[in-house]
Amino acid sequence: MDYHRRKISRRQFLKTAAAGMAIGMMNGPSSLIAKEEYDLVVISGDPAAATKKALEAMGGISRFVKKGQRVILKPNMSFSRTPDFGTTTHPLVIVTVAQACIEAGAQQVLVLDHTLQRAELCLERAGIREACKNIPGVHVLALQERKFFREIKIPQGKVLERVEVIKEVLDNSVLINMPVAKSHSATGVSFGMKGLMGLIWDRESFHSQYNINQAIADLGTVIKPQLTILDATRALVSGGPGGPGQVKKPNLIIAGIDPVAVDSYGVSIAPWYGQNFKGRQVEHLLIAHQRGLGKIDIDQLTIFKEKA
Amino acid sequence: MKRFIQTVSLCLFSAFFVFATYKLPTWFPADIYLRLDPLLGLNAILAAREIIGRALWAVITIGATLVIGRFFCAYVCPMGASIDFLDFIFFRKKKRPVLKAEASFRKAKYFLLVIFITAAIAGLSLAFLMDPMSLLTRFYTFFIYPLAITLINLLLDLVRPLFQALGWVTLSHLHYFQSVYYMSAITLLIFGGIIVFNRLAPRSWCRYLCPLGAFLSLISPLGIFKRRVSDECNECLKCQKVCPMGAIVENPRRTHLPECIQCRTCAKVCPQNAITFPASLSLGGEYSQVDFSRRGFVYSLAGGLGAGFLATQTPFTLRQSKHQLIRPPGAIPETEFLRTCIRCGECMKSCLTNTLQPCLWESGFSGLWTPKMDLRLAPCDQNCNVCGKVCPTQAIRSLSLEEKTHAKAGTAILRKEMCLVWAQNKICLICDEICPYNAIVFRPVEGYRRPVVVASKCNGCGFCEQRCPVKGEAAIVVVPDGEIRLKEGSYIKEAKKLELEFKPDPGDDRFILEDSGLKIEEGGKKVKDRTPAVEPVPEKPKGFL
Repeated sequence: MDYHRRKISRRQFLKTAAAGMAIGMMNGPSSLIAKEEYDLVVISGDPAAATKKALEAMGGISRFVKKGQRVILKPNMSFSRTPDFGTTTHPLVIVTVAQACIEAGAQQVLVLDHTLQRAELCLERAGIREACKNIPGVHVLALQERKFFREIKIPQGKVLERVEVIKEVLDNSVLINMPVAKSHSATGVSFGMKGLMGLIWDRESFHSQYNINQAIADLGTVIKPQLTILDATRALVSGGPGGPGQVKKPNLIIAGIDPVAVDSYGVSIAPWYGQNFKGRQVEHLLIAHQRGLGKIDIDQLTIFKEKA
Repeated sequence: MKRFIQTVSLCLFSAFFVFATYKLPTWFPADIYLRLDPLLGLNAILAAREIIGRALWAVITIGATLVIGRFFCAYVCPMGASIDFLDFIFFRKKKRPVLKAEASFRKAKYFLLVIFITAAIAGLSLAFLMDPMSLLTRFYTFFIYPLAITLINLLLDLVRPLFQALGWVTLSHLHYFQSVYYMSAITLLIFGGIIVFNRLAPRSWCRYLCPLGAFLSLISPLGIFKRRVSDECNECLKCQKVCPMGAIVENPRRTHLPECIQCRTCAKVCPQNAITFPASLSLGGEYSQVDFSRRGFVYSLAGGLGAGFLATQTPFTLRQSKHQLIRPPGAIPETEFLRTCIRCGECMKSCLTNTLQPCLWESGFSGLWTPKMDLRLAPCDQNCNVCGKVCPTQAIRSLSLEEKTHAKAGTAILRKEMCLVWAQNKICLICDEICPYNAIVFRPVEGYRRPVVVASKCNGCGFCEQRCPVKGEAAIVVVPDGEIRLKEGSYIKEAKKLELEFKPDPGDDRFILEDSGLKIEEGGKKVKDRTPAVEPVPEKPKGFL
């Protein structure tokens, strides 16, 4: 084969680079103007690049994170499986946001989850701790002891009156919810709203004692992430939440302030269990919407779409 | 010098013990002390009637004893070190009683040795009861290790406010997993008993009872280094008093060679510097004979056979493969397993999830302290295969993760009368959610989607049983039915032969959907829930409207 043909000459390279720069500059300003008007930002591309772009499109991380603040990133790393199973948030998505937070002057970034399987194993296999280990100020922790949780009341609770939440989440931190897109055998899908269950102590009762869909909405009235970034670079469309199941690759990062809207959009990106659904058809999202936690009809949202 | 080597050995023993976790690299012999124990090796080889590779390491100990003498007890044995240490703490200043029947006490260890060996020949593994290495590892597993974790966590809790004040995030969230075990108390009592026994005389255990000591003492007179007393000796008898093994007889110039552990304490205290340990090929004459009567030998032979008979000729033996015990994946067939397992507890110590627990009487006398899986307590993790890696006799085979996945430990069965979904029409999917092998599927029955176990996909890991929200006994339990236990050969092949598949199968859920065209009958039962009643809609997966 003629390998040398594939080589790019210096001139060609410069030309291409210049063209690229030009396109970038043309594009640049438009992607920098006030993004707050968008309800959702949907970027397709590689995990890191798409996440970076999504943050930019949301108006930059500094819109959410101020100097000296503590930031909590809530990934899904509840299962001791490697990222390719689609059960945990992609490490590159986490690390990109963590890095951005530190650059924006965050005093500390805590990546927290109450894991279902043994903490040590989850941290090891999900790859998030490994990915974040070289960024000073970022700590990846899996908490499985009750002493790290504190009870709060749920004034608007329908089925839940009180709930024990990871202490750091309650202490004036910025909370960025970073779920992975996956199917769920009890709630249909598990995105941001369902992912909040990873911040509480007693999740078992959601399954056995309460109507899980109502309980998730109850939880949504007290834990309100400032930003939700849904990692749909991979989507576990069946066999969720623990896998193994069918993993599709929508290659999307979906970001937004409205937790219901992000989840609702997430429902539309892939067929779940082989069927197409709308956000309204997911019971816990519908309940959350009806209780005023966010918008559910994506055709009424302003959405910014781009490739990274 | 002796104390230093002893301390190093005890530390090494502890370090190897600590290293026995799921992260253990395959090449690292965390069970090295147990492998080096010739009594355990011999016991397992005789009882199992098979050569066990790892037990051959004990040849090193035997060889070294043949060359040097019974140095093992003084320098290597971590049990000896523990006894010396605790003796120093508790009984240093105590006056010891004078034992008149000392000589006959000494015989006890040989009787025990014969009993254990004979029992092994009769097919009963018994040496674990008193073998120091097995005893100490067990004590470490069931007592020292959980205690250490408790203390460390307590300490962490105490200094936590300080860590928080300093902003040390990782440290202020540090907490170690607390393992808990059945039979911790019994194990402590036995160890405590041994220590108290040493009140009689220093190293009473080693002098009178230790069967490993007895074994080594039989060959130690062949060793090269022997105590020699020069003419300088003025018979002050100081050496006789300090000898921890009581190996110096009435005539201080002579040595009871099988008892001498070459600790050289006598040489240290001798005011005349008359004692040396030169190399010598002589066998030591009358004093190297083991004091062991024919009658005693016959009695202990009978004792060993009797024990073997009693332990193996019971209904337990006949029920061996029929009891409800779930053995760890990779455990060889039950009869061989009971014969080979030396009850050291390494597997239970290293078990990642703490599911491995010691048996008390579940499989009779012959099953004491053998590992079982308590799946209501914890599941068997699919990414861990450490129990086989650390098993010194390979009663649990060391398997690759892939092989271990196919070593089916049992099968989950659903007890419908207890299941929330089957019995109460509640919405519960925890077993399905947690199952790592997609072995639980939902099928429409009477208008509701209800969980069913696909036996050919279940490898008995027990996640479902542990997570089942039903109080008390779980509504889904793993039973030994379908377990695969191979003495040799590949579990993967065996599983294939049986048409089992423990693999991700994404297609499964779709299959159910196609399967579930069932419509709810009008006027069917309503879900009793405090929720706005949500009728299950079979055409759609759970959670969708």
